[in-house]
Amino acid sequence: MKTGLDRRRVASFGLAAALMLGSAALAQAQTTLRIFTGGQQRPDVMRQIVDVYQKNNPAVKVEVEVGGATSEQQQQYLNTVLASKDSALDLVLIDVIRPAQWAAAQWAEPLDSYLGAEKDAIMARYLPAYRAANIVGGKVIALPYFADAQFLYYRKDLLEKYGLQPPKTWDELKAASQKIMAGENNPNLRGFETAGAPIEGTVCTYLVPMWGVGEDLMKDGKLNLAGDAAKKPFALWADLKAANVTPPNLAEIATDRIRQNFQAGNLIFGMTWGYVWNRAQNDADSTVKGKVGVVPLPGFTADKPATCIGGWQVAVSAFSKNKAEAAKLARFLSSPEVSKMQAILASHLPVFPDVYTDKEVLAANPWFAQALPVVLASKSRPVSPRYTEVSEIIRTNMNAFLAGTRTADAALADMSSRLGPILR
Amino acid sequence: MSTIRHRLTPLEKADRRLGFAMLAPAFLLLSAVVLYPIIDLIRTSFTFLHLAQPWMGNPFVGFENYARALGDGRFHEAVWHTVLYIVVTVPGAVVLGLGLALLANKPFTIKWPVRLGLLLPWALPLVFSGMIFRWFFEYNQGIANAIVRGLGFQPLNWLSDPNLAFFTICLAIIWKSSSFVALVLLAGLQTIPRSYYEAAEVDGASDWQQFREITLPMLRPAIFVALIFRTITAIQTFDIPYAMTNGGPGNSTETLAMYIHKTTVDFLDIGYGSALAVLMFIVSAVITTGYLKYTRRDPGRH
Repeated sequence: MKTGLDRRRVASFGLAAALMLGSAALAQAQTTLRIFTGGQQRPDVMRQIVDVYQKNNPAVKVEVEVGGATSEQQQQYLNTVLASKDSALDLVLIDVIRPAQWAAAQWAEPLDSYLGAEKDAIMARYLPAYRAANIVGGKVIALPYFADAQFLYYRKDLLEKYGLQPPKTWDELKAASQKIMAGENNPNLRGFETAGAPIEGTVCTYLVPMWGVGEDLMKDGKLNLAGDAAKKPFALWADLKAANVTPPNLAEIATDRIRQNFQAGNLIFGMTWGYVWNRAQNDADSTVKGKVGVVPLPGFTADKPATCIGGWQVAVSAFSKNKAEAAKLARFLSSPEVSKMQAILASHLPVFPDVYTDKEVLAANPWFAQALPVVLASKSRPVSPRYTEVSEIIRTNMNAFLAGTRTADAALADMSSRLGPILR
Repeated sequence: MSTIRHRLTPLEKADRRLGFAMLAPAFLLLSAVVLYPIIDLIRTSFTFLHLAQPWMGNPFVGFENYARALGDGRFHEAVWHTVLYIVVTVPGAVVLGLGLALLANKPFTIKWPVRLGLLLPWALPLVFSGMIFRWFFEYNQGIANAIVRGLGFQPLNWLSDPNLAFFTICLAIIWKSSSFVALVLLAGLQTIPRSYYEAAEVDGASDWQQFREITLPMLRPAIFVALIFRTITAIQTFDIPYAMTNGGPGNSTETLAMYIHKTTVDFLDIGYGSALAVLMFIVSAVITTGYLKYTRRDPGRH
């Protein structure tokens, strides 16, 4: 009896010791990297990509943490993680507007030393806008993961039915919407939507029409809100609203709601990003499969289209405990093969010019053929270390105007007085 | 308690030491999680600290942040919205809560369904309540607009019209907080002896007279407790408007707590945000002391 117990105890002790030693050895060999991505940036595709990386690098395990759907929601969470210098995240997917902010706050590990002598050659391969956005003060702050720009999505079937061409100007868009809405007589069908909720995308809703008349928020280093160009966005959206082309609740529309309405067949035109193509063509609940067209955004005149640049970058957290391994993964995530994978799996626009002409990529996304010039011509939102404040001021005022609670003049006055001290 | 001091025996001294020793962990813990943050908050409110601009450091700026708050229109608006929420939702929750408590106090044979109905809204996290109400009032899929359409009207912008948004947020807050008020008042109701009502019945008092002459006066202490708690939480209103409108349209439904959150967590302007938080703390403290003084001056039993 006694000896039996002893033997069992020895056996279990031995087993426990073996397990501990084994897991210690495993822990030593294996690095776990944690990457943060937004819910809107196709975390499922990110998972497939890092699975490939794990297969080729058995010593690395990658965990994907999924955050909020919109850029400002994600940054809100990241602010608390990074301001407390938390080492929980090794890599973070950041919006194209953030590298300057991240460099200033010293949240991103500069990648220059990890790129070594090849640095210039590596950076030269990216689209110029992304090369520029990710190098702040001469340092590589992040590496591009995918490119993006706002396009005009349209219902091919409806335009054909009424004998219309995709609009090249806002007036054409308005006329086409009115014609189709009157003909279809469907109370749920709306002409046009863009982001109007107080979210990051609404900054572009303000800036695109301003760029459309050839002006920008900043001019010669000064705030440029005094002229007529600054009033143009308010006039354009008010005009489409008065014509009932946009829905009465435009001030509630967030980025993904445009896709949902479009996929539900309730929208003729949507001003939104590249990811919508893949979802509208492949989602099980999409009612518009095969009826989707994508063209550059309209302009005030056909020869002057303007659009907002988007896209996501991989940054290595300055507080990561595995910076070298994280930088390696960042380089993989920013490689042409991953750009191609994303293009096919998620219609994410590539950050390398030659991937746009890849046969398999074009088979999945025929419209990529004309997307490259749009991305190349797209413009950037203002760059500032205090971008969260800049963005909040613009989107809150645009949203208040769309909701009808603030006039264009009041919104401009508020923007001028609050942006002035920040964008000096 | 006796005021005569006598020399403590060694045993009593040991007892006292033991008492302090046993209190010490709780005292240290409270100091760490309550006292230290408050002191640090006040200290930070007199400095410049903007984490998006780490190169600016953390210099002492005196009352600069407070002066900025005085001239900040957005701060004034946030205070005004908060006051409106207090004025509408505190009485609203107390009236509805009183009704619910009276209902729950009825001698039903099966009491649990009513009491569960009272507990559920209270047990639900605030942000969930906000999200549920946001779906009720959502433009396309919400039940509110389904009813409006069913009645043959145009759907309403419940969440993007400032007045309607304020109304729906108040509705959500009253629904959510009235159950807490009802629980407090129900406890109060159950302390009223049944014999009072029996005596009133014998004297021929109507239900309304019984309510006015017995229930309401006897319930006063409980109503005060409910008012104090409800007012303090109303000053800090955050979750429900945050989930329903995020302060929109524009900043027309933004409360003081939301503006503080935006300033600190979003903008990382910790110095200014701390000053705003100190101001909110002072307002809460003043209102609470006011309530407490009022209840103490008037014993409020009958």
